[in-house]
Amino acid sequence: MSTPTRIRSGAMAFSEVPVIPCNDECLLRAGNTNCGGCGMSIGLTMLGRALAEAEDTCTLAIPACCGAVTAGAFPTTSYGVPTVCTTFAASPAVASGLAAIRDINGESGQVICWAGDGGTYDIGLATLSAAAERNENLIYICYDNEIYGNTGGQRSSATPHGARTTTTPGGKEERKKDILAIMAAHGIPYAATLSIAHPEDFRRKLLTAFGMSGMRFLLIHSPCPTGWKSEPADSVALVRMAVASGLFPLVEIFDGERYRVNVEPDFTDPAEYFARQRRFHDDEVDLEATRRTCRARHERLRFLAESFPA
Amino acid sequence: MPVEVVTGNHAAGYALSVAGEANRTARGAACGIYPITPQTEIVERIAAFPFTKGRVVAVESEHSAMGVSMGASLAGARAFTASSSNGLAYMVENIMTAGFYRLPIVMVAVNRTLGPPWNIWADQSDTLMLRDFPWIQLYCSDNQEVTDTTLLAFRLAEDHRVLLPVLVCMDAFIVSHTQGETDLPEQADVDRYLPDLDLPHRLTHDDPRTLGGLIWPDVTTSLRLETHEAMGRVPAVFEECRSAFQDVFGRDPGGMMDTLEVEDAEEILIASATVATTAAEVVKRARAEGRKVGLVKMRMFRPFPEEALRRACASARRVGVLDRDYAAGLGGVWWQDVRAAFQGHRDDVVIQDYLVGIGGGDVTPGLIEDVLEDLRGRERAGPPVWTGIATEKEVMV
Amino acid sequence: MVEIRIHGRGGQGGVTLAKLIATSRFLQGRSVQAFGLYAAERSGAPVQAFCRFDDEPITNRNLIYEPDHVVVLDPTLVALGITGGLKPGGWILLNTEESPASFAQEFRGHRVATVDATAIARGHGLGTRSVPIVNTALSGAVARILEIPLEEMLAGLAHLGFGGANVASATDAWNAVVTAEILAPPTEPSSDGARTPAPAFRGPSFVSGAGGDLPGIRTGQWASEQPGRQQYVPPCNDVCPAGNDVQGFLHALAEDRVDDGLEILLRTSPFPSVCGRVCPAPCMAECNRIQLDGAVNVRQLERLAGDEGKVELVPAEARPERVAVVGSGPAGLTAAYHLGLYGYGVTVYEAAPQVGGLLRSGIPDFRLPPEVLEREVDRIRSLDVEFITGSPVDRIRLLDLARAHDAVLVATGLQELRGLQLGVGGSDVVMQGIDFLDRVKRNEVTLNGEDVVVVGGGNTAMDAARSALRLGAATVRVVYRRTRTEMPAIEEEIVEALEEGVVIDFLTQPLSLEAEAQADGDGSVHGLRCRRMELGDPDATGRRRPVEIPGSDFDVRCTRVILALGQSPDLSVFPEGTEVREGEALLGLLETPLYAVGDLATNDGTVAAAIGSGRRAAMHIHQTLTGEVVPQGERTRVRSDVDQWNDEVIRSGALRMHLFERHPVDMGESIGMDRRATTFDEIHAGLPDAGEARRCLSCGVCNECDLCVTYCPEGVLKREGHRLVFDYAYCKGCGICVTECPRNVVFMSHL
Repeated sequence: MSTPTRIRSGAMAFSEVPVIPCNDECLLRAGNTNCGGCGMSIGLTMLGRALAEAEDTCTLAIPACCGAVTAGAFPTTSYGVPTVCTTFAASPAVASGLAAIRDINGESGQVICWAGDGGTYDIGLATLSAAAERNENLIYICYDNEIYGNTGGQRSSATPHGARTTTTPGGKEERKKDILAIMAAHGIPYAATLSIAHPEDFRRKLLTAFGMSGMRFLLIHSPCPTGWKSEPADSVALVRMAVASGLFPLVEIFDGERYRVNVEPDFTDPAEYFARQRRFHDDEVDLEATRRTCRARHERLRFLAESFPA
Repeated sequence: MPVEVVTGNHAAGYALSVAGEANRTARGAACGIYPITPQTEIVERIAAFPFTKGRVVAVESEHSAMGVSMGASLAGARAFTASSSNGLAYMVENIMTAGFYRLPIVMVAVNRTLGPPWNIWADQSDTLMLRDFPWIQLYCSDNQEVTDTTLLAFRLAEDHRVLLPVLVCMDAFIVSHTQGETDLPEQADVDRYLPDLDLPHRLTHDDPRTLGGLIWPDVTTSLRLETHEAMGRVPAVFEECRSAFQDVFGRDPGGMMDTLEVEDAEEILIASATVATTAAEVVKRARAEGRKVGLVKMRMFRPFPEEALRRACASARRVGVLDRDYAAGLGGVWWQDVRAAFQGHRDDVVIQDYLVGIGGGDVTPGLIEDVLEDLRGRERAGPPVWTGIATEKEVMV
Repeated sequence: MVEIRIHGRGGQGGVTLAKLIATSRFLQGRSVQAFGLYAAERSGAPVQAFCRFDDEPITNRNLIYEPDHVVVLDPTLVALGITGGLKPGGWILLNTEESPASFAQEFRGHRVATVDATAIARGHGLGTRSVPIVNTALSGAVARILEIPLEEMLAGLAHLGFGGANVASATDAWNAVVTAEILAPPTEPSSDGARTPAPAFRGPSFVSGAGGDLPGIRTGQWASEQPGRQQYVPPCNDVCPAGNDVQGFLHALAEDRVDDGLEILLRTSPFPSVCGRVCPAPCMAECNRIQLDGAVNVRQLERLAGDEGKVELVPAEARPERVAVVGSGPAGLTAAYHLGLYGYGVTVYEAAPQVGGLLRSGIPDFRLPPEVLEREVDRIRSLDVEFITGSPVDRIRLLDLARAHDAVLVATGLQELRGLQLGVGGSDVVMQGIDFLDRVKRNEVTLNGEDVVVVGGGNTAMDAARSALRLGAATVRVVYRRTRTEMPAIEEEIVEALEEGVVIDFLTQPLSLEAEAQADGDGSVHGLRCRRMELGDPDATGRRRPVEIPGSDFDVRCTRVILALGQSPDLSVFPEGTEVREGEALLGLLETPLYAVGDLATNDGTVAAAIGSGRRAAMHIHQTLTGEVVPQGERTRVRSDVDQWNDEVIRSGALRMHLFERHPVDMGESIGMDRRATTFDEIHAGLPDAGEARRCLSCGVCNECDLCVTYCPEGVLKREGHRLVFDYAYCKGCGICVTECPRNVVFMSHL
């Protein structure tokens, strides 16, 4: 092979941005590229706090999703922990390898997959299912913003019925996949839903997960102002409404068979939740059916929690 | 361990396992495994190996097999896997990724025809489709070569001047399932040959970095150049690894390419894997008849050893490339690189492509003799010559 | 070829603007290009878009480095530099409410135009509040400055499917765009336009370079709004007549810092234990928590602070001036307390044998045990305040005091009792409530088996009625001219009186006491003739005036009448013709400044008001004697680290009530009903702990709940001690800290 001759590049050197030396230990550093009001940012910040509280640390495996973009341009990074951005479907597999080597070396620290709903519900589901079936010693966290946000807002199987995306211009006709039930069906030690609007419950579930081993699946309802076409400042308020109205139940499932309902919804009218997101259009959301679904689902969960308590 | 009669798959499974085991004094070993005909025996061997400090993860797909191996490698462990054909195609995204991550993973690939329709026999089109990724590719022609090349591959991959993954390839059934005497090295010797893996960019809390985030065009270019330079160092490092191999195991594992009777040869055949060893029989016979023919047996496809190839073919007037592969709309894959190697250096050589043994067709000495015959009569190169359909001579187009 | 570079923020529609311009030109037969510079930046990040059009086919596929014109979608981008490579004389079109002239100097050599596209877009409802979509408006402005006919631009809009509000926006902007005179370019040629070649670049190694540095993205530059911390006046602080920092002491109690809570109260009032028992607590009436689940029990919390807190008072260095205080009710004692703290020599002159005024004589023990008062008086005494009791001061003596002191303060309260002519009946039958309560305190009254009627609706009436019950009265009735709504007594006292068995006849006016034949013939039993009333039109105070109902007279059996009709000041101590004004020195009468404080001056009738009056007088005296300006600080303490101080009272409508959880009020323990009506022991046992303080919503004042910190997506909002620190270099201005602040402390301001 010949020695390469270098020809100077064009007029613009993209990479000539100032670099600030790393001097803090936080999980998500400021100066990242996430949108203002991003729910994933809040989730990461809360995850970082919980790790600090538990005097624990983590290695992140992030598939293609906004979370991978968050890192910023190589070699800089917005993550204060070792992080690998994997291919779209591969994060549970890569994390399995990381966790295996951690374990055979007797090392501490969590191995955490931080994935969007596209990587979780859709392209990565087989990989995730297999890692769950193997009960890999890792924590899988899906920040579910119900959309392919990284590509500009296309439907995923987490997109709720009625939501407009660029690939469901008339509102999605199908319902949202129940990923929690799917994951719990693997009989994994811990599966739980989290809301950033309930920080204490959020924190407790993370600490619970840190204290366990085997496959732990956490699902965060993660507002996306850009994809949801909502005010950034409303992010927390929206997911709070989702919990209150029963749209997003907060539950824990242990070993796939013992249930706990963490927050009793008051079945607040979800109308405001829909009205404050321009991805929903009045004539494309059946409010009555939504209320019925929420109540029925909650009754089922309550029955499970009462019949098979954690 | 004494010389045993085993299959190529057995040899590969053994070599991968003892190499992994050799890293038990460091961060251990792990791999993801997933079966595919004709590779299955390899992963069965790995699964059965009693690793002291290792984990074998039986995953749900080739994609994840490489995923697990990448994760293990990122954590600083010795990682490997094996696959074949459509399995490789399914794995492609992560194969590419392992290269971009600069992870010293070794993968044994059993070359099998890509489908559909389904065909389990030998054909190199599966691994050759990976030619543009940052992977070293080595092609073996027998069980011993598979064993030795696999061990050498780890040392080569893990050298800090290289840090690239390696594909070790063998022909389906002709090697993978063929019993032959094989010297399977002792663990103690393997331990001596393979130092503890020290991955400089492994993920660690001491130096938290992000691998695989975003990158600007100019940094991308810079990293591609870094990879290019690492590839450029491979031939020299390969020779060091070869020499160290001889020191430890007392035998030559073979070079990037091996030549036969090329010194004054007017016609030279270029071939790889089992086609090359069959061709050697033909070349020897032709030499006995006084014909000035030679053979270059290619083991290394990536990086493509251009200079060595030109040197080996210095005397040749005509070069026949035997491709057990097919690049649609073009012809043989090896042929392209051979032509490119001569381009601008010598334009007085006829470089003719012969597609042989496609889809696992048996490449007989007779066929190769026909090829030699055809080559000798050429004053200029023509389009690729297809063989293996009906009677060989009729289908030469 | 015309090349336009558009500077915007992610999400504002810069690429679409480029497309609109290109489309309008395409429809006129031009060759066009419109494209963005795509990278990872998200909503709010500075981004660029480009537009080219030419009469000839365009083959150049580069970015635009030397644009003919620049369009800036967001005025905050100007600071980041937008003129790089801009050709001399090129247009700079800015979306801003400011005039182009204000930019002409900065952009010498270029033509500047401005239009408030944000206002236009918002006006037409385009985009969200934080990210208005300004591109269609700006397309109109671009057309105007480039002399493209508006209809050609609108054709471009129509071609891309933009109608309605977008067309209106474009048209408005076409009309609204303003341009400035071009100024001569600066003499020194700017290096801005020169293309600097990129240095030869060799990037970091993947396998050996140390990673992990932060990206240098100053995301603060994305923000169009910035959060800050403000403070309002909580209604409790606003309304407290004593001027207490109610929110402040509740905050301390909520953190179980009882001593600190007491310290905050003692800054204004020497009587937390007293007020914690007898204050009508207007703070509770105004409490925003009423809208949720009931007012915070401030009165009982103040009592808890007063009873359980420990604070060592440290007066200022002793001063030579001496001040006389006449009267030792709450106003006089409060003035003495603050003057003592200022370091003055203070002497209090009290006519009665003990200090305390009405606190001593007029409030029954079951509401205010004497030892509680004694404790708080002792605290005042500890400031070396001298008390001279049994020492009445009249007009002559006041002149003596004035000569002997540097200031005199008169706080003699309301000494004139309102009477009611009821015809027959001597002083043994008709008593003044104040006298009655005083005699009760001295154990001089028994009412065994008597039928007592109390006239009035204030606290004295309730106190008298409840005392009468405890003294063995057979029946106790209160007659009041108006309804319960108008009763000035503390609501709790009314409730407790009724619970104990007091009967209240509302809308009842006593007329005369009628002697009545009694079975045993001693003639001591009386009937009180009363008349029914109804409420008529409101009077000057706003209360509805009671109007007699003719022919509604009836008799109430009674052996004793207690009048509790209120009091008025006795001004005879002052020189003839003195007009008493609260909080002002009565200058010119004497050489020494003379002050009238408390009920004497204000007739407010509450302990809290007297405390406030006494404190203001003390401050005024201090200011007069020293010339030192005493900060008022009346309504609440202003936190030193707020960015904005709002001098207005915050009501529940401005709070985010949905963020508060409901929690029932802690009423504390009371002694059982079986004992209530027979004992003068204190009814209330106080609160078990300060937990009730955590119900305080801390309206408009940061209480360090740190929800803003919890929810800040970027962690750029940190608490450092008591300070909230915003890292504006990185804050993207999403505003979650505002919407999640329950108490309206974090606010957003436009940059």
